[in-house]
Amino acid sequence: MTVALEGRPGRARPTLVNHNLTTASGIGLGVSMIWFSLLVLIPLTAVLVTASSGGWAEFWRSITNEQTRAAIRLTVMAAASVTLVNIVAGTAIAWVLVRDRFPGKGLLELVIDIPFALPTIVAGLVLVSLYGNDSPLGLHLANTSGSVYLAFLFVTLPFVVRMVQPVLEELDMEVEEAAASLGAGRATIFRRVVLPSLAPAIAAGAALSFARAMGEYGSLVLLSGNLPFESEVTSVRILSAIENDNQAAAASIAAVLLVISLLVIVALDILQRRVARRG
Amino acid sequence: MSIDVSGVNKRYGEFVALQDINLTLPTGQLTALLGPSGGGKTTLLRIIAGLETADSGSVVIEGVEATRLPVQKRNVGFVFQHYAAFKHLSVARNVAFGLEIRKKPKDEIRAKVDELLRLVHLDAFADRLPSQLSGGQRQRMALARALAIEPSVLLLDEPFGALDAKVRKELRDWLRRLHDEVHVTTVFVTHDQEEALEVADEIVVVNEGRVEQVGSPDQLYDAPANEFVMGFLGEVTVLGGVRLRPHDVEMTTAPVPGALEGRVVRALRVGFEVRVTVDVAGQDAPVTVVMTRTHARSLGLEPGTAVWLAPAEGATAVASATPAARPAPEAVAG
Ligand SMILES: Nc1ncnc2c1ncn2[C@@H]1O[C@H](COP(=O)(O)OP(=O)(O)O)[C@@H](O)[C@H]1O
Ligand SMILES: [Mg+2]
Repeated sequence: MTVALEGRPGRARPTLVNHNLTTASGIGLGVSMIWFSLLVLIPLTAVLVTASSGGWAEFWRSITNEQTRAAIRLTVMAAASVTLVNIVAGTAIAWVLVRDRFPGKGLLELVIDIPFALPTIVAGLVLVSLYGNDSPLGLHLANTSGSVYLAFLFVTLPFVVRMVQPVLEELDMEVEEAAASLGAGRATIFRRVVLPSLAPAIAAGAALSFARAMGEYGSLVLLSGNLPFESEVTSVRILSAIENDNQAAAASIAAVLLVISLLVIVALDILQRRVARRG
Repeated sequence: MSIDVSGVNKRYGEFVALQDINLTLPTGQLTALLGPSGGGKTTLLRIIAGLETADSGSVVIEGVEATRLPVQKRNVGFVFQHYAAFKHLSVARNVAFGLEIRKKPKDEIRAKVDELLRLVHLDAFADRLPSQLSGGQRQRMALARALAIEPSVLLLDEPFGALDAKVRKELRDWLRRLHDEVHVTTVFVTHDQEEALEVADEIVVVNEGRVEQVGSPDQLYDAPANEFVMGFLGEVTVLGGVRLRPHDVEMTTAPVPGALEGRVVRALRVGFEVRVTVDVAGQDAPVTVVMTRTHARSLGLEPGTAVWLAPAEGATAVASATPAARPAPEAVAG
């Protein structure tokens, strides 16, 4: 028998089959890792290295500086609040855009993308002319912390909407009808059937919205006036550290932002998985 | 009477989807809504369920005026062609959904779900997600989910339409057995006449927004009300201005009084039967005759053989709206 088997060299399988990766996906993985390293990992490492260049005490001193702490507090608070608002309002806007028919729908679609399309400094100018000292609306937000919230709201508006919209479009209406036939009212259907399907998209939109707000500069710098302890955000703090030739302090603040953003993204993902499995 | 539909009309814009539908379906039966695609079957089923509202007319379910009731209050079980599974919930939690909405006690829900999963043979799959089931299993899950709320009526819209032929056949036999066990008034939509004839107690033929005929499978097959029903329930051939089933045509190789003479064009063997195409003098379309292989062999049919055709005794026949080119008697040879 053994002889017979050995006599069939043609049956030998190519060694490739024994690997988990095919050549194509191996190349794909390699290229993405190099790309990812060049664009993300190396710069991030550089930030962390610079931040630690002055030692732990120096790092701690930079980030516990009163003015820096106030800036971090304002930035995180505003980014978190704005993200919460976007989760609710963005989902609602996406819902209206997909499920309802009303005059001006096309216009609304267009308006939503304006924050994407405008260069942030132009957005800043628009905000100043609307809410600045000679506001036609009578809203004077210049030099207040309110201006930071407003600018964040403006630039992060599209994220949740545009993440949720396509998922909502793909949802099978029959699933909702099935729930209705089983006795579920509109609110229950939304909570138990629709929301679990939307959760990943909402979380992704929220993460983008939070990260964008954490690093926002251009749209708020004109209106906020950058008053320490009032309307100064971390990106402005980082810039002034660099202007004062304190690279290490700038990198230290950046490292803190990095850690907070990572934590928020992880938290959103955990939350999203919970909601998606519930129902 | 379990479901009473009267005077129902439904339009989509200018398009008339349903036109003056009157229908009474008795309690405990398995009824098929049969008809070609686009005929309005789904629309009618959805109006009964309350998923769609009629422009006029009324729906009464188990003696309760339901026309204005929302779907949530009608207590109907609805099964969709594409399962409409809750993808994020396990099979057991899909089935439990309606009971949880009704705030039943936990242990009662668990017992009921176990019982239903056994009934649909999915007890081994309780903790799987719908995506881990085959199409047939998903549809059985959807059925258990609909039955869980103990509906007054069970409505199924082409429940086996998305499944392959073999599973489809298995499931329809199983649906018939399940119905004999559960006895819930059931209406299912199909465009497959074989499925309707095999499974249903009663068939409602729906076409172009109207009900063409209501009756038992035998009634419909043996006494179709019109050309459409006759044609939809099975193959039809025209012989001397009369429409009849190809297996109801009697063929002889010698002249018979009252029979029409023709010539065999070809004889095609399909499995256990033979389909013979015959050109009849004075008739535009050839006649199709179906017979057993044994019979065909005994006649010794070849292309060109002269044969005589006549309707078999007791054959189901409907006068054709498109008359043959020549009146029948003149064509008789003999
Ligand atoms: N929501 C709708 N809007 C417009 N036309 C519809 C709608 N639903 C169904 N129709 C039309 O009504 C007719 C009947 O549809 P349907 O009830 O789905 O038929 P069936 O189930 O018998 O195939 C079809 O011509 C279909 O195009
Ligand atoms: Mg249909």
